[in-house]
Amino acid sequence: MTVPILAQIVEVPSNVNHLFDWPAVLPFGINRVVLLMFLATLVTFLFLYLPFRQPRVVPSKMGVVVETLVNFVRNGIARDIIGPESAKYEWLLIPMFFWLLFLNLFEITPLIHFPVTSRMAIPAFLAGLVWVTFVFVGLKKHGLSYIKNSVIPPGVPKPLLVLVIPIDFLSTFVIRPISLAVRLFANMIAGHIMLAVFFLTTASYFVFEPKIVAFAIPLAFAIVITAFEIFVAVLQAYIFTLLTAVYIESSINVEH
Amino acid sequence: MSPDVLILAAEEEKSGLFLILPDVSELIWGAVSFVVIVFLVWKLAMPALDRALGDRQKAVVSQLEEAEDAKGAAERLRDDYQRRLDEGVERADQMMEAARSDAESLRQEIIDRAEAEAAQITERARAEAESERTRVLEEARQEITSLSLDIAEKVVGTQIDASGHQDLVERYIRELERETAE
Repeated sequence: MTVPILAQIVEVPSNVNHLFDWPAVLPFGINRVVLLMFLATLVTFLFLYLPFRQPRVVPSKMGVVVETLVNFVRNGIARDIIGPESAKYEWLLIPMFFWLLFLNLFEITPLIHFPVTSRMAIPAFLAGLVWVTFVFVGLKKHGLSYIKNSVIPPGVPKPLLVLVIPIDFLSTFVIRPISLAVRLFANMIAGHIMLAVFFLTTASYFVFEPKIVAFAIPLAFAIVITAFEIFVAVLQAYIFTLLTAVYIESSINVEH
Repeated sequence: MSPDVLILAAEEEKSGLFLILPDVSELIWGAVSFVVIVFLVWKLAMPALDRALGDRQKAVVSQLEEAEDAKGAAERLRDDYQRRLDEGVERADQMMEAARSDAESLRQEIIDRAEAEAAQITERARAEAESERTRVLEEARQEITSLSLDIAEKVVGTQIDASGHQDLVERYIRELERETAE
């Protein structure tokens, strides 16, 4: 079983449809995307756990990196945006940030080269979870007036409410989760397609016209875009976590 | 991989909607994976990290307290040395003041004694000079008396009564001294 799973993870696609089409390779609909989810889950856990498994007064280099990143999510995202109640939502924000980070970084991980978040499943699931969380927080904190305060801004003339209420309702309760999911998904799939195009072009020139050095041009682009995609992977994990915190905060302190 | 495969695949007609809609099994396994990672992170990873942070915080606090104690001890020692130094300086000042006072009184005593001795010496010298003058005057008087008697004998040519002449000359000298004094 181990060898086929490994083969799936490091699989070289046989045709371009594999950018989007992932048939199940194991029971219960487990395909390469699901295997990579499991791998990301394992890597995320080991990344956060291993440096602190043995109690040490002076942390290892890896421990310092993990500690800095966790403190960044705790303080730089959760506490700075949500405020004193931020600790209640760390259970969501910390695993989300690191899980997304590794899922995104699979895009440029050698032998994997596939961002799991370029499939809609995880962005959609996490956006749904964020939606449920911020609506639940708002209702728990303010009751039904949360809905009313979210869709009726103060000081708007009554005739305009006919327009404003549907717009605010759509923007808060419909567009937010969709934009959250699509932003992540679109960024990652765009990067993945760009990398695939440039690497395939490089391979085509190299295989069919090896004497011409033209393959160097798409290769140079592919290298630059790989570096850029590392940045995008980190940025998208950050943005998703940051917006989650912003939505939770807007439910706690609904201003209207 | 041949270019034909790429071209054929790209030409394959398919709606783009399947890209936006999540695959159900991936959605379910994604949810399961996220629940698992949340569980693992909050049951194992975060407690280990928080324990490590807590231990380090305790170690830092304990080291800070030790440093604070050492600093307190060093300050106490420094204050003690400072106090001793101040006392030493004060004692040295007192000793110097006493020495200066002693020297001053000794100097005054020496001066007084020297002045007294000088006065005694001056007085003795004056007395000696006075007695010497008296003695010289007496000798001069006697010499004059004797000379005058000799002269008188030569003038008169006879031996005159020595004691009578003696009285006469002395009376004359005394009158002369009185006139000189006036």
